[in-house]
Amino acid sequence: MRERVAVTGIGVVTPIGWGYDAFGEALRAGRSGVRRIGAFDCTGMQTQIAAQVDDSTGDLLSWVEPRKAAKLMSRSALFAVAAAGMARRHAGLSRDAVDPERFGVVVGAGGMGATDLDLLMAQAQATIDSARDGASGAWDIPTFVRIFTERTNPLAPLRGLPNLAAAHVAIQHDARGPNATITTACCAGTQAIGEGLRLIQRGDADIVLAGGTDAAVNPVSVLGFSLIGALSRRNDDPAGASRPFDRARDGFVIGEGAGFVVLERESFARARQARVLAELAGYGATCDAYRITDERPDAAGATRAIELTLRDAGLTPAEVDYINAHGTGTRMNDVTETLAIKRSLGAHAAGVPVSSTKSMIGHLLAAAGAVELAATVIGMTEGFLPPTINLGEADEECDLDYVPNVARTAKPAAALSTSFGFGGQNACLGIRRW
Amino acid sequence: MSGNSTVVGGRPLDEVIRRIIADVLVIAPDAVQPGKALVQDLGAESIDFLDLVFQLEDALGFGVPYQRWQRYVAANYTGKDLAVVLTPEVIEAFAVEVMAEQALAAP
Repeated sequence: MRERVAVTGIGVVTPIGWGYDAFGEALRAGRSGVRRIGAFDCTGMQTQIAAQVDDSTGDLLSWVEPRKAAKLMSRSALFAVAAAGMARRHAGLSRDAVDPERFGVVVGAGGMGATDLDLLMAQAQATIDSARDGASGAWDIPTFVRIFTERTNPLAPLRGLPNLAAAHVAIQHDARGPNATITTACCAGTQAIGEGLRLIQRGDADIVLAGGTDAAVNPVSVLGFSLIGALSRRNDDPAGASRPFDRARDGFVIGEGAGFVVLERESFARARQARVLAELAGYGATCDAYRITDERPDAAGATRAIELTLRDAGLTPAEVDYINAHGTGTRMNDVTETLAIKRSLGAHAAGVPVSSTKSMIGHLLAAAGAVELAATVIGMTEGFLPPTINLGEADEECDLDYVPNVARTAKPAAALSTSFGFGGQNACLGIRRW
Repeated sequence: MSGNSTVVGGRPLDEVIRRIIADVLVIAPDAVQPGKALVQDLGAESIDFLDLVFQLEDALGFGVPYQRWQRYVAANYTGKDLAVVLTPEVIEAFAVEVMAEQALAAP
């Protein structure tokens, strides 16, 4: 009989609120965090909206000890450290309560390209200057080397390493157990939490800080997704731009932030009389092995990820009371995901509420799965289902109950959270009331 | 600090060094006192010396390769416990040495 794994703490930095209480309240209120991009001049870009973290919401640096460690943190690493710190505090886990060697960290991270806006700008300027200074007007690399070396603090490129978020979290918490970074893009956060579950189940850790982080609101990342047509262009109505399952949806909205949970072996949680939020009961992961940006039309990979999760969690389709969908708001995902839910839950699909919190917070990329798992647990614990906002008229191929526009009072005993990534990676988590 | 009257950008060198160290180590300038070891007393780690040399370059207005700092340390402090001997005065002496070199090299 496998020991259960408990979720004992939640920490989030999101475009609609930081921490369990503020985030939960915003979810319940159906608040949108999507605005016109303020982080940089987006004039001329086809997509000029994003769900940004409002830095004035709190003091991110207050979570960094010593303060000096923040010099080596990119924006996404700082989000991770803050969210992980909030999760640990929420779990009431004191410094000496954990054996460092039994304390693991798994982080979904590594967005598209550099996420440090300052470094990006320095690189761009050095490239421009070297092309101008060089004889041919082409990228004169020796000149670029000279200019870049003169201007770039050696610490800046180091901040861009994708594994640093997990490293910084480990340093902050003296977590000397297994440490991993998962880079499966849109499903990285879900996978990180799933792998954290496995670490405890395998006996390699008693406590795991698991989550995801991304801070891709920068010109290169926004353009990267924009050029392949993945982003909404509803620039005149930012709050209404993320419209999962809606007939008028036109793509996702990039968001930034981080989400972390504290996962604990049951015996460990009981021994310290931890307040348990929920059981992380199951995890399933597959790959379409089909195409990079198209999902299998028959949703086979996504369906199987859900089925594996149900089996892992010991859940029947009839027992699923809520699904937090991947629900990006792209033309394709919402239809494919609807099909996967129907195929995996069969006749029960019609009666299961499914909502996409991306309607409110946008797509947090590597952080999405983690923040969405947090939203699911918050809903289960506080007794509500987060809504899918901006659902005016559902696509005719999207005919499930998507909890339209308004949060719904409910006490789910079991729920799923799904994430599907570019590259065809599919992951799902199963959560039970404790 | 050292009483050295060398001036950089209109400010005394020792004040410039103090500000750089404070910025690199994220501590108050007042905490940067003569005799305080950067590693043992002020919390510096290896990567901070890269940052420090880069900021020194900026302040002095000419290139100071990190290897130049490494040669200076090797020439003067081989066999010594660097965690203990590297103080603000050492940084200042290094700056004086490279400034003198630069003055000779410039026509």
